[in-house]
Amino acid sequence: MNTVGLIASILYQFGTNAAFLLIAAIGLIVILGMMNIINLAHGELMMMGAYTATIAFHRGVPFPLAIILGFVVVAIFGAILERLVVRRFYGRELGALVVTWGISLIMGQGTLILFGPFMPAIGIPGGSFAIGGYSFSVYWIILMVVSAAIVIALWWVYNRTAFGLMARATMQNPAMALALGVNTDLVYMLTFALGAGLAGASGALLAPTTSIAPLMGQQFVAPAFITVVVGGGANVLAGAVGSSLLLSIVKTPVGLLLGAFLGTVALLLAALIVIRLMPDGISAQLQRLAERRSGL
Amino acid sequence: MTAAAAGLWRLINGREDIGRTPWFWGPALAVIAVFALLPLEATEFEAYNVAYYLLNVPMALGLSLLWGYSGVLSFGQVAYFGIAGYTYGVVAGNLAPSPWAPVIGSAAGLALAAAVGAVFGYFVFYGRVQAWIIPILTLVFTLLLETFLGQTAGYQWRIGHVQLGGYNGMTGIPSFQLGHLIFSGYAFYYLALVITLVTYFGCRILANAHAGKVLLAIREDVLRTELLGYDIRLHQLGVFVLAAVLAGLSGLLYVQWGNYITPSQLGLVPAALPVIWVAIGGRERLLAVVIATYVLNWINYSLSGAGNEYAPVVMGALLLGVMLFFPRGIIVTLSSGWRPNARKGAAKRDAVFDENGR
Repeated sequence: MNTVGLIASILYQFGTNAAFLLIAAIGLIVILGMMNIINLAHGELMMMGAYTATIAFHRGVPFPLAIILGFVVVAIFGAILERLVVRRFYGRELGALVVTWGISLIMGQGTLILFGPFMPAIGIPGGSFAIGGYSFSVYWIILMVVSAAIVIALWWVYNRTAFGLMARATMQNPAMALALGVNTDLVYMLTFALGAGLAGASGALLAPTTSIAPLMGQQFVAPAFITVVVGGGANVLAGAVGSSLLLSIVKTPVGLLLGAFLGTVALLLAALIVIRLMPDGISAQLQRLAERRSGL
Repeated sequence: MTAAAAGLWRLINGREDIGRTPWFWGPALAVIAVFALLPLEATEFEAYNVAYYLLNVPMALGLSLLWGYSGVLSFGQVAYFGIAGYTYGVVAGNLAPSPWAPVIGSAAGLALAAAVGAVFGYFVFYGRVQAWIIPILTLVFTLLLETFLGQTAGYQWRIGHVQLGGYNGMTGIPSFQLGHLIFSGYAFYYLALVITLVTYFGCRILANAHAGKVLLAIREDVLRTELLGYDIRLHQLGVFVLAAVLAGLSGLLYVQWGNYITPSQLGLVPAALPVIWVAIGGRERLLAVVIATYVLNWINYSLSGAGNEYAPVVMGALLLGVMLFFPRGIIVTLSSGWRPNARKGAAKRDAVFDENGR
């Protein structure tokens, strides 16, 4: 009976790590894959989502609704940001990195000045259950399901909707897509808003698992960026899923045996080795494999 | 002898920096003379403050070579600043009574910064990663280093008899010393001034030398440079290590200046500062970076008394504004606007500049 519990516990750890990495990185990866831009304000957008959800929750809004609110508010903010700033940096990757870093500094410290250093937290909903002497949090099980649902929803959006078709066309060849009547400007704005909204929803989803503070975004920055670096931008979903699973395989044993900090260090080392072996990330590798399979 | 001197002068007065005419060199020498004679007028405390504005210049110059001249952006220069500072503290602290401890400690600090830079650079440059990966990974590396040093409180985190000290940092770091000459007060001011001048002119020579031209060529077109027979990976690795050593040099001067260092020196906001100095001055011109670093440190230091919590907001807004309205940097934009004939050329270069995505 205890072995069942042990196996369940290891699987659970593995699942929480993978779900955490996927949720933390998904908004970043959507923006990178589409526009080849790294949004360094990602952590602060997550913080904004967490703040929105927390404030709404304490005003009596049910938690699931608060998460959706986090998505909507940050998505609108993202659309404004794209219009005013990010738009001018398409095709200038390094410039985009630097300018979004400036935004991140303003947002982090601005929140500290406006809201103060503390915010009452949200308790983890859902309670826990036990198998063979090991206890498991229901909320983290829900997060695993939600992260899978986000991936499926994104797959559906990109492969089954008109927006997805236009987005993929813009990604492959912006000039040709524009010539065929796709409003690429609008596609870029909606994609950035989608990525920002996902970051907001991620922040809201992770809000109960951490303390709510102006600089909370920083704790997501390292794992999210490593996930993106390992995943690469060639294929958004394959990269996000492949990378979070692989990194979870690295992080789970190291984290269990040596502690959370060394688990994150192991992530960085894994990322360095992965980029040495496959510089364009897992997604490019997977894509090449798929193309070889289909005989292209 | 005169041929060698003329060759050196050609390298110093080459194309790749601002100021090549007597109209530049006259005032420049006057400014250097003012700095050299400053201790005659300034109190020891004021000289110490000026030394603080100067000691960040090597780190900024390294980032300028890396980002402006080579097209490789790093957000983690403070990591090497911290590595060198902490290493100096540990080594010099342990050898403390010996008069040569600071020299050995400095050498160890620079060597470790170079070694870490080389290992990190090997993975990213020999992996030929895309341009956005390097800033991301250098930033992650810095944040992890800060987290690690932050949790080194307690007696077990001790190397020899020096404590790492967790978030409170390392204190009691010895000042620099050559034999029996201890560099404190005015002596430290001259140390910082000489190192600033030497690194500036050294970087200026490098930028105008053959290796500098190769770096510029890599920035403009990686593939073409490689097809001309240059090993781009080796050149990029070289400039990355050089930038790490220069950041380490600033770290050494910092701990020798204040005799302490804390992990917050490696945090997100300090990591942004070198990028801000270099972006505001103009990353493609060393002199612009030197001026911006000096002036911004001065402003930051003067502001820090009043409303310290607004400093990151102001710095972030400055960065945002400069990236939006002066993508080449304020000082570079001004200096190319001064020469009326250069206007058209500058506008043309701006266009090319945008096209190349930098």
